[in-house]
Amino acid sequence: MTTTQSVTPTLTEGLQATQQVRRPPSRRRRFWIVAGLFLFITCLMMLSPFIWTAMSVTKPTNVAFVNPPVFVYTPTLQAFVDLWQTTYFAQYLVNTLIVAVISTVIALIIGIPAAYALARTPGYISALLLILALIFRALPRFAVVLPMYEISQQLGIYDTTYALAIALVAINQPFTIWLLRNFFAEIPVDLDEAAMIDGCTRISTLRKVMIPLMGPGILTAGIFVFLFAFQEYLTAAILTDTASKTVPVFITTQLGQTLPMLQQAGAAAMLLTLPVIGIAFVAQKYLVAGLASGAVKG
Amino acid sequence: MRKREFALLVAPSMIVMLGLLVIPLYRTMVWSFQQVEYGSPGEFIGLENYTAALTDPRFHRAVLFTIGLTLIVTAALVVLGYIIATLINQLGRWRPVVLGIMLVSYVLPNVVGAAAFSWLFDTNFGGVANYLISSLTGAEILWFTDVWPNRIMIILDTVWHLLPFAMLIILAGLQGVPNEILEAAKIDGVSSLKSHLYVIIPTIRGVLFFVTLISIMDVLRTFDQLIPLAPQAVEIGNESIMLYIYNIAFREGSEQLGLGSAISVLTILLILTMLFPFIRDTFRESKVAR
Repeated sequence: MTTTQSVTPTLTEGLQATQQVRRPPSRRRRFWIVAGLFLFITCLMMLSPFIWTAMSVTKPTNVAFVNPPVFVYTPTLQAFVDLWQTTYFAQYLVNTLIVAVISTVIALIIGIPAAYALARTPGYISALLLILALIFRALPRFAVVLPMYEISQQLGIYDTTYALAIALVAINQPFTIWLLRNFFAEIPVDLDEAAMIDGCTRISTLRKVMIPLMGPGILTAGIFVFLFAFQEYLTAAILTDTASKTVPVFITTQLGQTLPMLQQAGAAAMLLTLPVIGIAFVAQKYLVAGLASGAVKG
Repeated sequence: MRKREFALLVAPSMIVMLGLLVIPLYRTMVWSFQQVEYGSPGEFIGLENYTAALTDPRFHRAVLFTIGLTLIVTAALVVLGYIIATLINQLGRWRPVVLGIMLVSYVLPNVVGAAAFSWLFDTNFGGVANYLISSLTGAEILWFTDVWPNRIMIILDTVWHLLPFAMLIILAGLQGVPNEILEAAKIDGVSSLKSHLYVIIPTIRGVLFFVTLISIMDVLRTFDQLIPLAPQAVEIGNESIMLYIYNIAFREGSEQLGLGSAISVLTILLILTMLFPFIRDTFRESKVAR
């Protein structure tokens, strides 16, 4: 091992030098032209539904959905104005945000201690609980959501944002626990032991030592749980009616309607996704780094 | 960790999952043996719902459709995710931009993304993809009413939606591959393709395993995207298991809750069977992990 390590740098340098002599320099460049083109086309295809929707909603209504499609037009924001004035979009957006924020906060508050305990306790019970969490993550939604529909009506909490938020906490809890547990597993146990020798209890070790170290992990888990709640369609469609309808449900009901409403649905989709896309661009560093240090060890 | 501490720390999370997942699940199991409607107590009918489900050709089609979709999409996600992650891993300046663009389809709500996706292909709405295909080849493809074009569109949309997550996880895995290994392979004169096959892929097999697991779980519960993409799902047989349950147990006019619950239970059995090897391995690993 030691010999390899000490020899490696010189060997690599030598190899690179020979490679440069042997291979024509254009080979690497040719690779990157092909790879760059491939990545460019991939990005374009990944963005195409989004770009096309953005175009459709900024077209004047009479040419928005004609066949063959129009490519040159005077952009207008009328669909956004109509969306704001003729529908309860603002209310639905507020509902969506309330659901997402409540469920993220609760998911983290109950998920962090559980994940910590699971990461620090080897043995059958932990393994069993983690497996159960894994199975719960894979459950068909309807197996839990249809009974929730009836239970929420019996309890009189049907069509409320907090009932939906709590339902989503439970549904996303398995994922939250797994992700956080893997982050905790990365932190050396010596730190716990040192803190406890210094007189910390388990709880204060978690609060004062672990949670500050878990910043990126908690942020990553928080972003994911927020996104899941923000995006949820099925659960929201079943547990809400009019009062606490969320934007994805609103957009879906608009889809079956006539043209101006369809355009408004597109406008709603844009308004909903532009902020999250912003978040994605800003948070991507955390997402990748977070996943690199935690999630993949599952 | 002492038992009492362990119990205290996991209790809140376990109580929430017990109350909101286990209890509803129990009710689904009870319902699956009943003739029942919302709000009224059911009547025990034994295995009738199960026999009805298992002999329903519509259920068979839904199962085959869902499994086929899962296999194709999972394979595509792992392969494409690996290729794209490998390329992005070598990018310099452009990396944040490309990653940000790749994430867009993941942060869009599935149903909204699928609606946007359907507009690309819908002739009625002047879909640009449809327009390009018909002006290049002259063929008018009926994306929404023909079985296979519809299936292809559903596959494309599902891959489009799930690729970012698969790619991101694989990218994270690639970053964990030690440089020494790659250099050692280079010194030994291993070609680039071979170093992928024999060095990198075995090193990150845990990550690929995780991506496969998550993809299988996600595609098996395909539902959201079919609402905009397959309005004719029932007629042309592109109904997923979840959509089938929704149609028979929730849509107005047919609230066959017992039958829907029986299918949920059967789906759980199917999922457990497909996940069994993964569950066994995970159990072995997490028993020894601290």
